[in-house]
This record gives sequence, structure tokens and C-alpha cells, in this order.
Amino acid sequence: MTDLMGIMVVTLMIWVGLFAYVYRLDRKVSRLED
Amino acid sequence: MRISEVLKWVLLVWLGAVIAAAFFYVRPAEGFIGESSRIVFFHVPMAWIAVLAFLVSCIASVMYLKRRDPKDDIRASVSAGLGLLFAVLATTTGSVFARIMWNAYWNWDPRQTSIAILLLIYAAYLALRGAIDDPERRASLSAVYAILAFVTVPFLVFVVPRIYWSLHPDTIINTRGANEFDSRYTQVLMASLVGFTGLYVWLYTIGCRIEVIRQRRRQEVL
Amino acid sequence: MSRLLAEALAVTAKDLRTEFRTRIALNALGLFALTVLAAVSYTVGPYRIAAEDRPFLLAVLLWIVIFFAALAGLDRSFVKEEESRTAPLLRLAASPTAVWLGKLGFNLILIYLLMAILVPLYCILMGYSLVLVGGFVLILVAGGFSLAVITTIVAAIIARALTRGALFSVLSLPLLLPLLIFLIQGTTGAADGTAETVANSLRAVVSMGGIMTVVSAALFPIVWSD
Repeated sequence: MTDLMGIMVVTLMIWVGLFAYVYRLDRKVSRLED
Repeated sequence: MRISEVLKWVLLVWLGAVIAAAFFYVRPAEGFIGESSRIVFFHVPMAWIAVLAFLVSCIASVMYLKRRDPKDDIRASVSAGLGLLFAVLATTTGSVFARIMWNAYWNWDPRQTSIAILLLIYAAYLALRGAIDDPERRASLSAVYAILAFVTVPFLVFVVPRIYWSLHPDTIINTRGANEFDSRYTQVLMASLVGFTGLYVWLYTIGCRIEVIRQRRRQEVL
Repeated sequence: MSRLLAEALAVTAKDLRTEFRTRIALNALGLFALTVLAAVSYTVGPYRIAAEDRPFLLAVLLWIVIFFAALAGLDRSFVKEEESRTAPLLRLAASPTAVWLGKLGFNLILIYLLMAILVPLYCILMGYSLVLVGGFVLILVAGGFSLAVITTIVAAIIARALTRGALFSVLSLPLLLPLLIFLIQGTTGAADGTAETVANSLRAVVSMGGIMTVVSAALFPIVWSD
């Protein structure tokens, strides 16, 4: 049970980290376009 | 907030919820060893996006050959890059899954073979692009190759499995049967598919915008 | 129509003449095939593989040799034009489709020549006995044709690129792998006598070859007139 919890937490962290990275990239690109 | 902004945050919550649901909303499906059925929620959408990206790349290639708009070439190459990424992810998650279920990371069953060949097609396409300097020639030659490669895909997806069956029935991995059971399972799988598609679309639009800027910069230098 | 054929035949004839003068492609194909055949025959030979595995494994080895020999030699027809700077002249002299047909004809001759020599040698040296010989021949013909079609268009694409040799193999392989799978299965069927496998595989090879031919013919002018 805790193993599963651990994998889920790691996956969520990876996802949130990835999202933050792409979001910042998106913002930077928007700034470059204007 | 504009609608596109809202959608991005929706995507964050959506895929976050999918991840949580994959681990705690569904019970492990029958016919799978241990918790391995949970990998399917990520593996199947990744493979789906790998094929979708290829389709987008091919359509953009055809469009490029028709109207010679450089934007189409950008679309084709961006989608191909994303397709390669998702194909690698799909292959990796798939072989982890295969290791758990059948004790071998790779055994060349039709589906694994298909994704491997798709990987090779992407790699070849990007290698071709890397080997041509002149932008117009690069665009048209890679468009031609994308179309040629696409011709083989229906054969991979539909014909190879059928012929394989007669020779190696024991290596055919049929996971579809196990999916029909739990309605929760299908819900989360569908939700994951939608989420991943949204992620692809977002990455695709960013990639295209970056390329447009890069090309504009190059023009300005000249 | 006859103008097209006449031009195409002229291209093929010219290529053949040049080839017999320098023998580069023939050497590449032949040397590779015979070397690998010798190596395989020496190490594996007619006795090392168990009887029930023979139809399949010997089919695999045969097609691997054929495919890699093809990859070694079939890009010559276009690369040679670029190297000797005769490509622009060819563009003026013949219509794109005629050039494509002519080059395809040249590659077909090379491949069938290779098969005519290699396959009997292989069967003798490896002790490959086939039940459905007619089916086997059909598979060879259809497979050789599809192989030539695919390598011809890929050779045209890479002739204008930078790293030609490696690129030819890299680009051809993903397109040839499904074909390879079908051919191996069909040959296995021919070896152990299951006519249904042979029929299925032939159907797949012929349809793949047919579609590739049509698509190549349509796309070649774009590649050529760049």
C-alpha cells in the first residue's frame, strides 16, 4: 500500500514539475512573440 | 483569464487527478500480475499520442507538398519530434510492463514490433532532416519520406498481427480482453487519453511557436 | 506511353552499361552476399540447426543476407549520377517518371541477378529444403520487386543529402522491416509446406509493393526536380 502511495507521489511530482517547466517555457515564448 | 490559460490549469488538475485515480480509484484489473495494470493508464495514451503525432506530421507533409507553406514544414517537424518523445516513452513503459507480465523486457510481439518500427521511422525522419542544409529541399524531401513511411503503418497495425498469429500464437499479448471488465478502468483510461492528447496539443503549439520565432530570427540576421 | 517506356529503357540500358564498365554495385552486392553466405555456411552449416527450427531460422538468415546486400548496393543508381555530375543532364534528357522507371528497372535487374545466384547457393550450402518451391519463387519475385521499389525511391531521396551511405540504410530500414517480416513468414511457410501462410504473406507483400509503387511514382517527380 505504501509502495503504491510512494510511486503515485513521485509520479505526481514529476507531472507537476513538468507542467511548471512547460508553463514557464510557454510564458517565455509569449514574451518573445510580443 | 483567457480561455487558453484556463485550459492549461485544467490540464494540470486533469492529469493530476488521472494519476491519483490510476493508483487509488481503480482496483488492479484481473488477468494482470500485481499492480501492473496501472501502467496501462500511461502506456496506452503515450502510444496513442506517438501514432497521432505521426499522423499530424504526415498530414502537414502532404499540405507542405501541396502549398509549399513553410509553416507546414514546421508543423511536420515539431510533431515528429514530439512523436519520437512519446514513442520512446511508450516503448519504455511497455517494456517495463512486459517484464512484469511475461518476464522479458522485449519479445517482439506485434505491438512491440510496431512501436519499435515507428521509433525507427521517427529516428530516420529526423536523421534525414539533419542531413540536408537547404531549407526548401529539407522540407520537401522529409515530407516525401514522411508520406512513404506512413504507407507502411497500416500494414504494421493491421496485417502484421494477423500473420504473426499463425506462427507464434504464444507470443501474442492480448491485453484488450482484461480491459473490458471494470467500468472505472475504462473511465480512467479514457480520461488519461483525453489528458495526454491535451498535453500533446499544448506542447505542439509551443513547439510551432518556438520554431516560427527561430526562423524569424534567422531571417532578421540575413 | 511508348515514349515513356522508350525513355525508361534507355535509362536502364545506360545504367547497365555504366555498371558493367565499373562494376561497383555488382561488386558491393556480390561480395557482401557471398562473404556473408560463406561465413554463415561455415559457422552454422547444414547440420547445426534442429529440424523443426530449420524452416524459420534458415528463412531469416536468407532474407537478412538479401536485404543487407541490397542496402550495400542499390543506392548506386542515383548516387552515381550525383557523383559524376550527370544528374542535371538526365533531368533534361528524360521525363521524371521515365527516369524513375529506368532506375527501378536497373535495381530490379540487380536484385534478381543477386537472387538468381545467391538463393540456389544458399539452399545448397545450408541444406535448405523447401516443400512449396513454386510459392518460394513467387515470394522471391514479389519480395525482390518490393525491395527494389522501396530502395529506388529512398536512394533518390538521399542522393541529394550529405551523409549518403549511412543515411540510405537508416531511411530504408523502417520501410523494409514490415516487408522483411512478411517475407520471412512466407518463406517459412514455403519451407514447411503451409500453403495458407504463403498465400497470406504473398498477399501482404504484393499489396505493400503495389502501394509503394504507386506512391513512389507519384512522389518521385518531387524528389527528382528539386
